[in-house]
Amino acid sequence: MKKLGFLVLLMAFWANACAQEGVLPLPSVNLKTLDGKKFNTSAIDNEGKPIIICFFATWCKPCMVELKTIAESYEDWQEETGVKLYAVSIDDSRSSGKVAPLVNGQSWEYEVLLDENSDFKRALNVGDIPHTFIVNGKKEIVYQHASYAPGVEQEYIEKVREILQQEN
Amino acid sequence: MKKPLLLLACALCLLPSLKAQSFLQQGKVSGNIQMNAQYYIEDSVIGAEKIDNKVRTNTFANIQYQNGGFSAGLRYEYYAQPLIDFEKIGYVGEGIPYYYFAYTQDNMEIVLGSFYEQFGSGLTFRSYEDRNLGFDNATRGVKIKATPYKGITLTGVWGKQRNFFDYEGQVRGIDADISLNELSSKLGESDFRLRFGGNFVSKYEADNDPVYRLPENVGAFSGRAGLGYRHFNLNGEYAYKFNDPMALNDMVYKAGNALLLTASYAKKGLGVYLTGLRTDNFDFRTKRTALLNNNLINYIPTLTKEHTYALSSIYAYSSQPLGQMGFQAEVQYKIPKKTLLGGKYGTDVAVNYSRIHGIRKDTLASVLENGEGMEGTLGYTAPFGAAGPLFYEDFNIEIGHKFNKSWKLIMSYVYLDYNIEVIEGHPGEPNVQSHILIGDLTYKINNRQAVRMELQHLSTAQDDGNWAYAQVEYTVAPKWFVSVLDRWNYGNPVESKQVHYYNISGSFVHKASKITLGFGKQYEGILCVGGVCRQVPASYGMSLQVVTSF
Repeated sequence: MKKLGFLVLLMAFWANACAQEGVLPLPSVNLKTLDGKKFNTSAIDNEGKPIIICFFATWCKPCMVELKTIAESYEDWQEETGVKLYAVSIDDSRSSGKVAPLVNGQSWEYEVLLDENSDFKRALNVGDIPHTFIVNGKKEIVYQHASYAPGVEQEYIEKVREILQQEN
Repeated sequence: MKKPLLLLACALCLLPSLKAQSFLQQGKVSGNIQMNAQYYIEDSVIGAEKIDNKVRTNTFANIQYQNGGFSAGLRYEYYAQPLIDFEKIGYVGEGIPYYYFAYTQDNMEIVLGSFYEQFGSGLTFRSYEDRNLGFDNATRGVKIKATPYKGITLTGVWGKQRNFFDYEGQVRGIDADISLNELSSKLGESDFRLRFGGNFVSKYEADNDPVYRLPENVGAFSGRAGLGYRHFNLNGEYAYKFNDPMALNDMVYKAGNALLLTASYAKKGLGVYLTGLRTDNFDFRTKRTALLNNNLINYIPTLTKEHTYALSSIYAYSSQPLGQMGFQAEVQYKIPKKTLLGGKYGTDVAVNYSRIHGIRKDTLASVLENGEGMEGTLGYTAPFGAAGPLFYEDFNIEIGHKFNKSWKLIMSYVYLDYNIEVIEGHPGEPNVQSHILIGDLTYKINNRQAVRMELQHLSTAQDDGNWAYAQVEYTVAPKWFVSVLDRWNYGNPVESKQVHYYNISGSFVHKASKITLGFGKQYEGILCVGGVCRQVPASYGMSLQVVTSF
């Protein structure tokens, strides 16, 4: 009975997954800003230009390397493409207090959000971090990448350029 | 649990046929799948036991359906013959232990089924998952979150608690959160930030004890406040728990309490973080007989840096809710670009110190007179400022510097003093004092290829003695990853245990999918993620991980 239910359900999902077209929209989840204010992810916006969303945590080494590396060219990226990066921290109460000192200490210009309960992470089906999403001007996810290796950031900016070409 | 599933299944079956309706066309399905598999080989030297069922897997899939404000989802888990470390903690089974229906409107969110939630910093309530750790105490029941007025959030939860493949116990709670800056438009513009919160949580467990009259309903509450001014933040939370005798606290009727304080300051190039914690008899579970990480209702954050290098994470602190007090301080500084020490790109310096003690517990005179132990009494008193033995001390410094476009180096020194008797429960063993040196060098060959090398050394006169560690990683972004490492316990006082724990692995990444194949030996130790730790047995063999998200 249990198995049957699951199978039917799986098939139903499959049928729906096949029926749906194109790309996923951003889910709407309540997060916090570094000031502690409520922030709904539906407010993630870049006035029709592409967006990069990076999941990270202060204790995640490759995440730190990724965000520090992007920070070096972020100004150039913004000038060229107008892209905006949202860095979403999944630090829980053990370390979420470290995010603001980190971000200010590193002088990052990113939009930083706190996902203390991992709600956004779950809504976007993120397993391990780092995990990065590229979102187009219509706020649809068009690309995602799990893990980080030096040079992957080139892939991100190329995707952003592709989006701009397609949308123009 | 079958009925709601079938209902959901049937509802979804109808969806494709009803596609004409535009509402349904907006629905989206997404999810992820993760499979970890291992082939085990016996190795008596490292303590990898002979396992009859040699090939094992942990596999799960999440599927979510989202349509406007409505969403539903489930997770199928196949842990019938799980990895040996999961079997040891009791994570064995198969089925759909997680499913939910949720509806979100502007100011209201309702979830039926399983959910994860946290009140404040989690001192009184946190349901949470860490799949790599085998930790999942999801609540199944009802959750309602409402914002009756801008700046005020009320959350109510009521449900049973997941313990592996069962849902047991009963927890219910209510939390209020008030943000003055969102409440008043005047304050909204100001540099001052102020917020308050409070909650009450209670659990129910029947009393079938032949000896004691046990409280069947146990309550806990907490109050919190957060104050901010520009780049300065101060947060505090105090929690109190009514009498709650359980196996872990020796059936003592004493009430428990916990205090957590955090302060941070940051300006361009500088970040300072300070935090202090004291807990007394604050283990909170749905079952009085529970041990290890089972049936936990709350979360006591661990006040130490989460080390991520292999050797600095051997001796990791794990929170001791029954009695601990300590603090942590961290300073991060970026030496500016174009200075002598900063070079072309600047230099990152982070210094971190933490020290945690037990609390002094003075047994009540009446208990001493009675001579029959603490069980069934108020037990002890613990004066607020009085410290017990040292549980953990950690001093570490990390310096990161990028020399030019190709070379980057991170150097780190760590000193740890680890009370193995308390943290791992090894009676009579002395504290382990260790010095750890780490070098992490990255060479970027070109835009796509990089080589990273790690060298680590741990020296200690206690426990397993000295360790050396070397790792080389080669990556071709964005798709390929190869790593070879060796972790050598050359200083083990028992010569036959001076083993090389080597590991070779390779990954292929394509967008949100990743396949990793590895072969090697796993050291018997403690695996900690986010302050929750568990024992990992030694193992030897081949591993495969497949992850994808869609």
